[in-house]
Amino acid sequence: MATFPSPSSPSSATKTHRQYSFLVTTTKLPILKSDPIDALGARLGIPIPEMIFGDNLLSLTHVPSGWSLSFSAEPALDLVDKTGASMLKVAYASEWSATREKTSAGIKEVVKPFDWSYSTSYRGTETRGANGEALAKKKKAGEGKEGKEGKEEKAEKAEQIPLELLRRRDPILFADEVVLYESELDDNGISVLSVKVRVMEQRMLILCRFFMRLDNVVVRVRDTRVYADFGDEKVIREWTSREDKFENVKRNLYMSGLMPDAITVALRDSNQIANLLPVVEHEVESVSLKSA
Amino acid sequence: MPSLPSSVDLDECIARLYKKELLAESVIEAICAKTKELLMRESNVVHVQAPVTVVGDIHGQFYDLIEIFRIGGWCPDTNYLFLGDYVDRGMFSVETISLLVCLKLRYPDRIHLIRGNHESRGVTQSYGFYTECVRKYNSANIWHHFTDLFDYLTLSVVINNQIFCVHGGLSPSIHSIDQIKVIDRYREIPHEGPMADLVWSDPDPERDEFSLSPRGAGYTFGAQVVQKFLSVNNMVHILRAHQLCQEGYQTLFDDRLSTVWSAPNYCYRCGNMASVLEVDSNGGRFFNIFAAAPENDQVKDMQMPDKMNPGGEPGALPDYFL
Repeated sequence: MATFPSPSSPSSATKTHRQYSFLVTTTKLPILKSDPIDALGARLGIPIPEMIFGDNLLSLTHVPSGWSLSFSAEPALDLVDKTGASMLKVAYASEWSATREKTSAGIKEVVKPFDWSYSTSYRGTETRGANGEALAKKKKAGEGKEGKEGKEEKAEKAEQIPLELLRRRDPILFADEVVLYESELDDNGISVLSVKVRVMEQRMLILCRFFMRLDNVVVRVRDTRVYADFGDEKVIREWTSREDKFENVKRNLYMSGLMPDAITVALRDSNQIANLLPVVEHEVESVSLKSA
Repeated sequence: MPSLPSSVDLDECIARLYKKELLAESVIEAICAKTKELLMRESNVVHVQAPVTVVGDIHGQFYDLIEIFRIGGWCPDTNYLFLGDYVDRGMFSVETISLLVCLKLRYPDRIHLIRGNHESRGVTQSYGFYTECVRKYNSANIWHHFTDLFDYLTLSVVINNQIFCVHGGLSPSIHSIDQIKVIDRYREIPHEGPMADLVWSDPDPERDEFSLSPRGAGYTFGAQVVQKFLSVNNMVHILRAHQLCQEGYQTLFDDRLSTVWSAPNYCYRCGNMASVLEVDSNGGRFFNIFAAAPENDQVKDMQMPDKMNPGGEPGALPDYFL
């Protein structure tokens, strides 16, 4: 019989990897039972997605300073709009409400409006280091002065995650992927927040991705990338939010030469879609953790 | 009733499917055509007598379906009622629905299959069954055979005149069982109306009445709705599936409604338990709880959500994601 670790013994579900000054921890447990779900729902004030991995965790800790960044479901769900102000409607909602009035016009109450697509701008939960180390947007070299765009650009550039180093096939010493929550949006698409990590000898990368596809309406990919360089003990966090109308995504997949069946598959795969979506928000922060 | 082509031996088909072997396309076509004729004669509300074992969502988790037979007894020694959602998400939707359809055709009074919201052309194109059919048969033909058959599945079952069984839940358009009987069900599941509600709606224990889903389509139903429906129809319990529960089942509204969920470790990653509900001849209910079948270890970790591709092959290479 396949067995699963229980929340009462999270140690068996937890993996750790230490690389120089950094410690990576992942915890993978089953979805929450109904009582913890009710408690979480009461704390957050919104219905909880049906696949809620409330005990799961991925964290990165800089051991000497105590600085850490962790990813878990509850703080991510806490950032979901609870007012209904940014609430989406399924594609056939107007057709549905027009015809239903005949039979059930009396039912007008929408239960607790909220953003049921579970869209979150979660970038992880940060704990400051002992000396107050925290992620911050880098002060631009030319800030406050005019006519220094060249220098400004250079400072910005230095801040990017070094993709060329990450493209190298350095051996992966530790890798894991942890789902935080997932909803099938009543079969109107998918909403999933998951986080994965790979650790190489000199550097590591975390990708926390929120992927949401509401069929025939909209597609969102919101990525938080966390890069740590073990040599200079610097961490860069890059936030990229992408979004496009569903029909545009489908058209772009078609234009890329995919056959209809392959488009169906691609629409389920955020890796195939992400780069087709225009960036709507981008931000880079960093923190230096090397002790003076 | 005209018989199957002599080349098709139903018992042999069942034996092969128990071993997870695929049937030939022409055999599937003949079996679906035959089963359609059988289902066409079933009412929208089928009455059965206990004892019967009630099974919730399977979602193509073939090994767990076999585990259910191991635990609950093999067909036809045990009577079965399946509440729908046979396909999508799991890796073996084709094998699962092939076996269930063959069993239905072989033992029509011993096994009943209700339609779930996934027994639909639209949903199966997005959630894996279509892709799996094309991958395993190199054409969409068997997807057409099965989805055409889905249009004939019944919508509800009543056990011992006292337990109402449906995939999703109640509808504001339906007060009496007789209103279900007049639905024209031989069609794709519509977006709205009583047929949609029966396969889609969810209970809401914090409410009394029907409420609109925030999604802009669909209902939830509350305690008063359940009580009224049971008293109007002179029944004691509503039994449905449709919602994942970590414990494998959930009972609401002072034991007036149960959800039964039969896909353990859903999508090979949720770690949840599953159950089947055994109804004895007196109407007593017992949840038989089980975990994922050991054979699933072969496919474990193949399906993380962002490569959720139930029709695809697993990738074993290290993931140099950027």
